[in-house]
Amino acid sequence: MTGATAAADAAFIRCTRLTKVFRRGDTEIVPLRDLDLEIPRGAFVSLMGPSGSGKTTLLNLLAGLDGATRGELWIDGQELSRLSRDQLARWRAKSVGIIFQSYNLVPVLTAYENVELPLLLHDLSRRERHERTMAALETVSLVDRASHFPRQLSGGQEQRVAIARAIVADPPLLLADEPTGDLDRVSADLVLDLLGRLHRERGRTIVMVTHDPLAAARAPLKLHLDKGALESTRVDSVSMEGARTAAGEVAP
Amino acid sequence: MILLRTAALSLRMLARSRVRAALAVAGIAVAVFILCAERAVHSGIVEATAANERDTRLIVYRANRFCPFTSRLPERYADEVASIEGVKSAVPMQIVVSNCRASLDVVVFRGVRAADAARGIAARVRFVEGSLDAFLARGDGALVGSALAARRGLKPGDRLSAAGITVTVAGIVDADGPQDRNACFVQLPFLQAAAGGVQGGEVTQLEVEVADPAKLREVATLIDARFATDLAPTTTRPEKAFVARAAADLVAIAEFAGFLGVGALLAIFALVANAIVLSLEHRTRELAVLQSVGFPGKALAFGIVVESSALAFVGAVVGAGAASLVLGLGRFSLGAEGVLVEFRPSGVTAAASVALALAVGIAAGLIPAIAASRKAIVEGLRAA
Repeated sequence: MTGATAAADAAFIRCTRLTKVFRRGDTEIVPLRDLDLEIPRGAFVSLMGPSGSGKTTLLNLLAGLDGATRGELWIDGQELSRLSRDQLARWRAKSVGIIFQSYNLVPVLTAYENVELPLLLHDLSRRERHERTMAALETVSLVDRASHFPRQLSGGQEQRVAIARAIVADPPLLLADEPTGDLDRVSADLVLDLLGRLHRERGRTIVMVTHDPLAAARAPLKLHLDKGALESTRVDSVSMEGARTAAGEVAP
Repeated sequence: MILLRTAALSLRMLARSRVRAALAVAGIAVAVFILCAERAVHSGIVEATAANERDTRLIVYRANRFCPFTSRLPERYADEVASIEGVKSAVPMQIVVSNCRASLDVVVFRGVRAADAARGIAARVRFVEGSLDAFLARGDGALVGSALAARRGLKPGDRLSAAGITVTVAGIVDADGPQDRNACFVQLPFLQAAAGGVQGGEVTQLEVEVADPAKLREVATLIDARFATDLAPTTTRPEKAFVARAAADLVAIAEFAGFLGVGALLAIFALVANAIVLSLEHRTRELAVLQSVGFPGKALAFGIVVESSALAFVGAVVGAGAASLVLGLGRFSLGAEGVLVEFRPSGVTAAASVALALAVGIAAGLIPAIAASRKAIVEGLRAA
């Protein structure tokens, strides 16, 4: 193992001078500038900041949906910039579950079929896929809605289906982009409870972008981004200890 | 494994988008219907006009006449032609048509002497119903070709009226050639009496069988030389060359129809490409979501091509099936100047049309598929 790899393994997520630059005509936009960040395995992190601060850009880089312009991004010992497009796709299928603000369910597929999607990429039999899909739906308490299409579900139910889809392949990392942004308070609390449970009981590492202070309050580790740089870090030590304990007890 | 599962997923998603799929399939089906119809016209023309080395039949016509109403030959010519070396038989035949111009439902009466019925009719047809004896037993008896019988819904005992002539169906006959399949054979004296403007002792043409196919042209030359200085000089051609000349207008129409065939193929390409491109524009975010879940771009591209192929295949099967049904039930034949070109459905044509449409469907889906699979995921997720 190289020194860099060993360093990267010390943290589950490690960003070193991570920079993303977009060009719009002659204008250069830098949503992330030389970001250094370490997130331990099993942490539940909220990522806050004003619009345009680089939160979603960082989340996209963490998800392997976009590539950094400069710098290094290590996740679970893997440097993402070294992966090809196809390797990144395989990595996403195995390592990350993404929850979007607008749910992003496939409208012509049922809740069951939406949740099953990531499992189609794994070498599992139909029966194994069924068992795992039903277990994921059970986790989000939507077994009775398995045959419903997204248009037949409420916003909160759609987001829970999206969470089931994110966790069904058992990835160690969950990324949530404003998961409660389109939900009423009751539904938002349900979703946040669910994320909290996944963190506490299953030791998932969760990074959640949010504008909602109540949602951010659920996360033990709070990061604040502004103008592409980390402005502040606040750790709820009790909760973080709980997170580390959970991470230690439950295999990722 | 991922490719197969992605293909199955694409087909499931396509099946759930019923309106989009149905509209695309309907458009492709219409295009393939046109393609099959064009191919049927083309193969009908080829069947009626393309000579082959086994052809043994010559048509003797009045020189410089091009229509059965104006070609007049003395009936006695048949005996003189029969005596020419290389001629196996010569049958004088009166032709009367219900419509001399191009038409989809022409009835061609072929008047044959009773003495020639065995070699002039029975030798070249197969009896489906009725018999030669039944035909000869009554003066107005007719042997109706299978295509004409199917088109008009005729059976033995029925009466058929056309061109002011009414006959009683004595039998239904099938044949290898389209002229005989669409003919209505009657006895020559009856036709000469029933048809206006036809005089006894005159016929429209002689149908000559030669003994050796290799000497078809040579015998034709001998026949024309025999009557070159007679009252009614002749022009003799192999039957298929005769049909090709008489049906020159139809051949021109068929050539034009060839453009329709090319147009149909382009339409299939445009329809599939349009359906796929519109669908992908509408599903940009959906594809990005699938990629975010971990579906590789190549698998999604494969799924899109499977989708375009499925649209083309189903549309082609529907279109080819409908064309086979319509052409099979309709038994259409296009007539001009007494010769007929059949539009018959063919399994080979239908299969080739489906294969062609499938190939076009794959090609039409390929570029949008590659483009969609290469699109940046983040951009796709931002799409409305």
